[in-house]
Amino acid sequence: MLFRRIYQFLIVYIIGVLFLLMIKTGFSLSDYVIPGLALIFETAGQVTREYFFDVINTLSVAVLGQALSIALAFTVGIAGRKSSWMGSFIKVTAYNIQAYPIVALAPIMFILLGDGFVPRLLIASMICYFPLLLSVLGIMATPVADIEHFYIVTDRMRWQLEVKIRAFENLSKLTTVISGSATLAMAGTIVGEFIAANAGIGYSIRIALYQSDLAKILVALFMIGIIISIYQGILETMGEQIKTKWSISDKGGVL
Amino acid sequence: MRLECNNLNFTYPGSKIAVIHNLSFSMKNPGFKALFGPSGVGKTSLAKMIAKSAFHGNGEIVTEKMDKILYSYNLERLPGWSSTGNHLNKVTSPEKQPLKEKLIDIFELSDVLGSRFSNLSMGQQNRMNLIRYLMQDFDLLILDESLANVDEKLRETIILAIKELFSDKMFLYISHNLMEVSKFCSQILVLGKSVKKKDCFVIDGQDAKKGYMLDKIKLDKTMLEIMNAF
Repeated sequence: MLFRRIYQFLIVYIIGVLFLLMIKTGFSLSDYVIPGLALIFETAGQVTREYFFDVINTLSVAVLGQALSIALAFTVGIAGRKSSWMGSFIKVTAYNIQAYPIVALAPIMFILLGDGFVPRLLIASMICYFPLLLSVLGIMATPVADIEHFYIVTDRMRWQLEVKIRAFENLSKLTTVISGSATLAMAGTIVGEFIAANAGIGYSIRIALYQSDLAKILVALFMIGIIISIYQGILETMGEQIKTKWSISDKGGVL
Repeated sequence: MRLECNNLNFTYPGSKIAVIHNLSFSMKNPGFKALFGPSGVGKTSLAKMIAKSAFHGNGEIVTEKMDKILYSYNLERLPGWSSTGNHLNKVTSPEKQPLKEKLIDIFELSDVLGSRFSNLSMGQQNRMNLIRYLMQDFDLLILDESLANVDEKLRETIILAIKELFSDKMFLYISHNLMEVSKFCSQILVLGKSVKKKDCFVIDGQDAKKGYMLDKIKLDKTMLEIMNAF
């Protein structure tokens, strides 16, 4: 899973760079517009270490933001799963708010909270929160009648059991959504940094942009891609392990 | 103990054809009763109406000395995060543990108690599901194809054991097995589709108990009556 993620990214990245080099060759563009391979490697040698720590900085904010959004999405999703007035209100509110582009709110956060850790964290969590919430709401609001029937008719159903049944039955979906939201959290953090932060890979890309240094941007993209692939691969592997652990017989046997 | 339905009607929302039309019948005393008829005549709908679990049609359902009615069906599943044995323990009260052990033995499920539900065969799944219902407090238990995919010999053993161990309870057994309902049930409600004939008949079955001697002539007569009823 992990290695598949990495080589999939490498294939896409190499195709992208080759495409740029084709344009460069086709239109006889200078290294100032599109750098050659030699310049890319030279720049990589200079900034890889710095960018690595920048990406780790961004990733740490993204991971924290994602954890925050997962906790919030599950809290709201569980509260809004019922077909009661409150449940319907939460669902309708969530569907309407998610229609608004969160990135557009980013400047307000930077104005109110300044350039720092908190606005980056908030933007990251808000960007991955709504897709997560919609998935969690959908999963938690859908009864698993074949399992739940017994507990309902025997008056054993509690909200914790209901949530556990629905989460377990949709474990694959939840794992996919959570690992997918990692990309969104990373994108949210980078966007935040790109707009007004003073740290992280988004901030470094903004500086490279002002310098019109495409080689640095390409190196930054490479670092982002590799590290997010590893992070997603780890999340997917963890999901697989949880699924395997939950579905293997206590005696280890499959009949 | 009495279950009586008077002028029961039920039509699915959006449909013009009534699944259940002016149905009236009465079943008395504990024991195995059956709901029999071809697919689509409303057996499950009627069962759910009796259990008050889903549908609300017109008419009257009268129950006497039946505080707790449970409806079980053959597609039910146990949660997959723990072994079936653990799930059974959790839904069985301490005083019913010896009975549970006895049923596990009769139902031939001892070897699969450590397995997850999804790892069981369909017959084992249905038997496991039935045991957990039998461990609950109930007066009437509706068994909607609850012994589907169980081989005939074991099914007979299970039915006879239930009749013996739960002699003070009423069971409403929904099955498509003509021989089985004729042999083991005391009353068989036959639902039909015919518009010319009466919509339902209650026919007396052979109500065979443990150690029974089968009277083939009587059994054939019951089966013939059932076949003629729809």
